[in-house]
Amino acid sequence: MKRYDCLKLLAPMVDEHMFTVTSLSGNTAMWSNLRPDGANFFGWNMGLCVPFALGLSVAFPKRKVIALDSDGSLMVDTSSLITLADVNPSNLVVLVFDNQSYARMGPTATARAANLEEIAHGAGIGKTATIHTLEEFSATVKQALEEPGPHFFVVKVEPDRGRIKGDPHRTYGRAMKEFFVAAVRRHPDWKGE
Amino acid sequence: MDQESVQIVVETLKEEGIDLVVMLPEEPTFALTEAVRRDPYFTSITVAGEGNGIAFCAGAALGGRKCLFVTGVAGLLVASWALAQVGMVYGIPILIMASYRGDMGDHSGIPGSQLLMFKQVAEPLLTALRIPYRVVSQKETLKRTVREANFACHDYGSPIVLLLTGEVLW
Repeated sequence: MKRYDCLKLLAPMVDEHMFTVTSLSGNTAMWSNLRPDGANFFGWNMGLCVPFALGLSVAFPKRKVIALDSDGSLMVDTSSLITLADVNPSNLVVLVFDNQSYARMGPTATARAANLEEIAHGAGIGKTATIHTLEEFSATVKQALEEPGPHFFVVKVEPDRGRIKGDPHRTYGRAMKEFFVAAVRRHPDWKGE
Repeated sequence: MDQESVQIVVETLKEEGIDLVVMLPEEPTFALTEAVRRDPYFTSITVAGEGNGIAFCAGAALGGRKCLFVTGVAGLLVASWALAQVGMVYGIPILIMASYRGDMGDHSGIPGSQLLMFKQVAEPLLTALRIPYRVVSQKETLKRTVREANFACHDYGSPIVLLLTGEVLW
């Protein structure tokens, strides 16, 4: 199963009022091509994608927040899963695209014995699954976006071949953040100053 | 933290509209985090790691929530990667209150070599991370400093750390 095929299935399920947060992996470039506008924060890496999405989910408790993380990033700080379980936000959906590799630089521990779903379950997250097919992906994610969570899914995908490029101005650094902030401040649920 | 300081901080947070407090409990600030946890005005979040606490605050802050992160010098060290990302890369305003472990007058019983390490790294760490900070060593200035730091972190677009010394904590 290819990551991009999963994301193509996800894109039409994400409405204009949902928030997405991506890790700095193939997720950023691919998702920016599929959902270039809207409240997307692209490119957190090394453990920061899930906790940032968690904070956002607390700020917008009535809207779905979707974290698109990756195996290498999440493994840097799995304690964030304990925090997630403890906060227990009903509106957070975490999709970890597990390609079992550090880009083109060899396998991660999930290619061997590490099982991120079991780690999440052990952290206290009740609704977890590991997804292996596009049919499972479509049905499972659609249901998660309609039902209370939190949800945590490991999506087993092939290592990406070649690079899909995103617009760096829209996917990285402070310029990207400003696009995100503008989208958040236009959101009907915005209560900040 | 003694009750007078706790009262000043809680009162100031309410005046500033800061109602989300993120923490990883530690002894010097325990009285504060416990007071916040028991006060229905606040939403208190206990995190499992300081790095994910900083990232959590970043998400909440950009989502419009006014929040405070409470930690110590060890927590700043653990969270240094997250602080570099949030501060230097993205410029996200987060107010952080940290006990200044290792400052002269810290009689907490931690071995001296640890205290010295905290003292040696705390301010150089924040300088290296380009995070504005202020050492708060007088109760008389605590309220004003919290208010000014809260304003400045939004004005600068940066995390700000208040390092609380023994004169404020004990």
